[in-house]
Amino acid sequence: MKQVVARDWPLRVDESATWVRDSDASFEMNEPDAYALEEALRLKEKHGGEVVVCSAGPGRLRQVIREALARGADRAIHVEDDVLATADASLVARALSSSLRKENFDLVLTGLQSDDQGFGQTGVVLAEQMGLPHATIVMEVDVDEVEQGRIRVKRELEAGWFQWMSMATPALLTIQSGINQLRYATLRGIMAAKKKEVRTESFNDVSEASYRIVGLHAPEKSKKTHFVEGTPAESAATLVRLLREEARALR
Amino acid sequence: MQLWGIELEREILEVDVLIVGGGPAGLSAAYRIAKINQERGGDPLAVAVVEKATDAGGHMLSGAVLDPSALYELIPECESLGAPLETPVSEDQIYFLTERLKIPFPFTPPPLRNHGNFVVSLNRFVKWLTDQVEAIGVDVFHGFSGSELLYEKDRVVGVRTGDRGVDRNGHHKSTFEPGVDIRAKVTILADGVRGNLTKTLLRKFSLDRGSIPQVYAIGIKELWELPEDRVGPGTVIHTLGYPLEFREFGGGFIYALPNGTISVGFVAGLDYRDPLFDPHVAFQKFKQHPLVAELLSGGQMIRYGAKALPEGGWHAIPKCYVDGALVIGDAAGFLNSMRLKGIHLAMRSGICAAETAYDAVKAEDVSGNRLSQYAHLVESGPIKRELHPVRNVHQSFASGLVPGLLYSGLSLVTGGWWFRDPMPGHFGHVRMQKLSSRVDQARSKRTSGVLVDRKLTFDKLTSVHYSGTRHVEDQPSHLHVLDTDICRTKCFEEYGNPCTRFCPANVYEMIDVSQGDSKRLQINASNCVHCKTCDIMDPYQIIDWVPPEGGGGPRYEGL
Amino acid sequence: MLLVVAEQRSGSLNPVTLETIAAAQTLQQPICVAVVGSHVGDVALELSSCDVSEVLTIDDVALEPYTSDGFVVALSQVVEQERPEMVLFPHTYQTRDFAPALASRLKSSLIADCVGVTSKDGKLLLSRPMFQGKFVAEVVPVGTAPHFVSFQIGAFRADSLKRVTNAVKTREISVSVDPSAIRQRPEDPFKEAKQAVDLTQAERIVAVGRGIKGEEHLPLAQDLAKALGGELAASRPICDSGWLPMDRQVGSSGQTVAPTLYLALGISGAIQHLVGMKGSRTIVAINKDADAPIFEVADYGIVGDLFEIVPALVAALGD
Repeated sequence: MKQVVARDWPLRVDESATWVRDSDASFEMNEPDAYALEEALRLKEKHGGEVVVCSAGPGRLRQVIREALARGADRAIHVEDDVLATADASLVARALSSSLRKENFDLVLTGLQSDDQGFGQTGVVLAEQMGLPHATIVMEVDVDEVEQGRIRVKRELEAGWFQWMSMATPALLTIQSGINQLRYATLRGIMAAKKKEVRTESFNDVSEASYRIVGLHAPEKSKKTHFVEGTPAESAATLVRLLREEARALR
Repeated sequence: MQLWGIELEREILEVDVLIVGGGPAGLSAAYRIAKINQERGGDPLAVAVVEKATDAGGHMLSGAVLDPSALYELIPECESLGAPLETPVSEDQIYFLTERLKIPFPFTPPPLRNHGNFVVSLNRFVKWLTDQVEAIGVDVFHGFSGSELLYEKDRVVGVRTGDRGVDRNGHHKSTFEPGVDIRAKVTILADGVRGNLTKTLLRKFSLDRGSIPQVYAIGIKELWELPEDRVGPGTVIHTLGYPLEFREFGGGFIYALPNGTISVGFVAGLDYRDPLFDPHVAFQKFKQHPLVAELLSGGQMIRYGAKALPEGGWHAIPKCYVDGALVIGDAAGFLNSMRLKGIHLAMRSGICAAETAYDAVKAEDVSGNRLSQYAHLVESGPIKRELHPVRNVHQSFASGLVPGLLYSGLSLVTGGWWFRDPMPGHFGHVRMQKLSSRVDQARSKRTSGVLVDRKLTFDKLTSVHYSGTRHVEDQPSHLHVLDTDICRTKCFEEYGNPCTRFCPANVYEMIDVSQGDSKRLQINASNCVHCKTCDIMDPYQIIDWVPPEGGGGPRYEGL
Repeated sequence: MLLVVAEQRSGSLNPVTLETIAAAQTLQQPICVAVVGSHVGDVALELSSCDVSEVLTIDDVALEPYTSDGFVVALSQVVEQERPEMVLFPHTYQTRDFAPALASRLKSSLIADCVGVTSKDGKLLLSRPMFQGKFVAEVVPVGTAPHFVSFQIGAFRADSLKRVTNAVKTREISVSVDPSAIRQRPEDPFKEAKQAVDLTQAERIVAVGRGIKGEEHLPLAQDLAKALGGELAASRPICDSGWLPMDRQVGSSGQTVAPTLYLALGISGAIQHLVGMKGSRTIVAINKDADAPIFEVADYGIVGDLFEIVPALVAALGD
């Protein structure tokens, strides 16, 4: 689970032009991860078990952990490290796997991607690092009654195609957003969350990232607006020509 | 609650003291009770705070120049705990503005001198205060609105929080969560200016029978980032005059924070006569004045917000105690309109209420009689000492800027004396003139709009974007208009639909209907910044503001 | 050498592969295109008309149907054997499913969803959107080769692909894939009508605003969307009035999109709408009001009556 800057926050680039200014910002749970949490809670309601939330990053993500616990997760693991807030997927996955490895999870669920970096990889990389089979863009999870230790998942493929797939557990799934309605954290849930276990772990891997952000800027319009003139028929023809040849935006 | 004949099963939470509202008043009350618990030992009182914003301080907006005296009293060690008081006031300036000129006041009248005070962000202050309250062991529940008071006969026994997960047609969504009944021995209402629960309490018990009508002002504010410190941090500037007309109450303010950050805002009394007045437009015009425009040039607007303020003063404060409940803060109207400060008084009222509630719970007597100790503390303490001498200030401005200033000056010497005490007051909305009888029409130089350049001046929709306002889209509208036919017909003719102007968030629009030439009222509820102006100013008093689904509203970071 | 991993399903090439090859061609280095699957001969033939050095076929019955385990095992052997400088993919759902794992297995990571790539003084610079398209980041890969990159669909033009008349040679690479080690058991894909339209997947969008004046005029915009092969979307007031469902709303209270082409009809450009589409590659605005804020973000603009211009556009597109 990741904590990101709130969705419609007016963001600005920071001084180093490699990240955004977030010291004063509102943070919230990464929405795709909220869907993963919701799916986990539903699976628990149907099949029993325990839902553990794991997140890697600075101290401020306690807020997101508390919210996950308030919605119904049973306990949490916080891999604390400031660097992880802006780190790449492989480093974050290493941080998470270092803690997750210590326990035997049947299923690891993640969201599809984060609203900030949007690489959409942490889940898949985590599966690889932990040696788990994985499936991405999962819409439905069916715990196989017939064969113990297997699950069947419905995956979304492009252009309206879908596919069911089965795998043995333990496995990792990245959950598609919007598949369920997200539940509220109830008052009772919030109060109960205070008593739930949050285990803090540290992470001491100083290996290099595999990429570096060297610049961040708002997408500038490279040229001024090209106003197309003429009669409707003329301007339409001109526009189509421009789109076709200059902007190359048409098929 | 009945829903199609089905009684909803609600969870019940029991506490000793419930505080509705996580602003400076509510949090101070919570902190004080917890502190008394610590000091006196024994069985601690169970205290809970409910706050409708998602984040601490999310709905908090003010200039603000804070008088820290109440803070020092509440938390003497506040500075070592990192209280966000980084910017002491360094300089006070007052100007009278005409369209082009600025005329400085030769001196700063003593009540407006801010030596010893701090320029703060109320949002940050409340965030910090919330941390202190949580650290001392009180639960603050964010994202929960107080939707109704619970009664047993005529005694307040708690609050029901709002249902969540209701769609725009009133049906339950799959995520439906019924509101919780929080039962408390004492309920402290700190639900802010024109608080929705306080409103119902006042009505039920006619608590305002003995006071003059409460009047309000709207404060609109932006946070700007300038390329460098154009004015030193801690500079406090207040203006009078342009763009307000002679009998309109209000003025502008500019408070400088460090690192080129600056708060710019405008306050307009919600008792103006001209139905065409638009506070948002007035604010844009204020920014266009050379004094402000030069200051802001090259800068960037980063936040926007608006909120009403209670301006009625001492005589407009209603009776603040009933069986089982107390009213504190802006909800009661503890604001010093001369000094333009209310935060410290809100905090003080919270402290008084805390002490009263603690004693009452311990004595197992939460009757109005017992809780009247609160009124006694308010009247015999620093709150009355501060508010009483300025009790007629706002009302004196009803006669115009000059009479107001004269009276205010006089009151410094006479302690607020006047021939008629209290000076008569009227509800703000009744002062609005009809279009047909718009006096000063010829004399008024007011133009209907202002040129929006999106660098210095903005339209309302753009402003709303910078307030960070967000609501769950699929929910019933939280702005209840009793009879929208009035909007289309009577109001359109008599006042020209002032709601489309006084709302600083473009919530109300009169949309053309395809057939015929009448219009219909469209309510863009999700733009609402919870300022309460519509509830206050609508000339027919048919708009009832109730809290939207908990968690919705603005996000006033840094404001 | 740059290795482009082609995408195919059941012997049919996914044309986005051509975009990736076109992107690779801008870097002026030898290119190999790898086709992974079973019985991929036809696909390889199709690719052999591209101006590349070689087409590599990795043909194994265990690699059809696609599984991430199968592809990771096969491609890691290919990469280790061929030692490319970079491994390039189109950013498809399938790529997202296995490429990060492949990169991780080879001690690297995938720089995904790139919209631009340049080589400056031998250093590679990639640009990619971040924060839901609000910003563009310049990213440099760090560490030793190979570097893994995927390109956003539509970021490069398949028609800018350079081709050759003499077919490029094809080489088969044998890999050892143990079918029992493949942990995923996929079933056959099936089509299902999706409940909600996913505007974020659309390459071209025609959006309407208050300027459309009435629900009865929507077919006009629909025609244009159809002519462009795109989706219909709307600004908030249209959805609030119920003229289009909520899932077609673009803006801060709707979806954030960044298609190749965004055509705004009668949309004023309130900031709430702009934040939802500013990141689009080409923005065209048609509005009566020359001062409408939408023109501040538009690449092309026509100040005029959309009721006259849109039919003219549909006609011009038909030619």
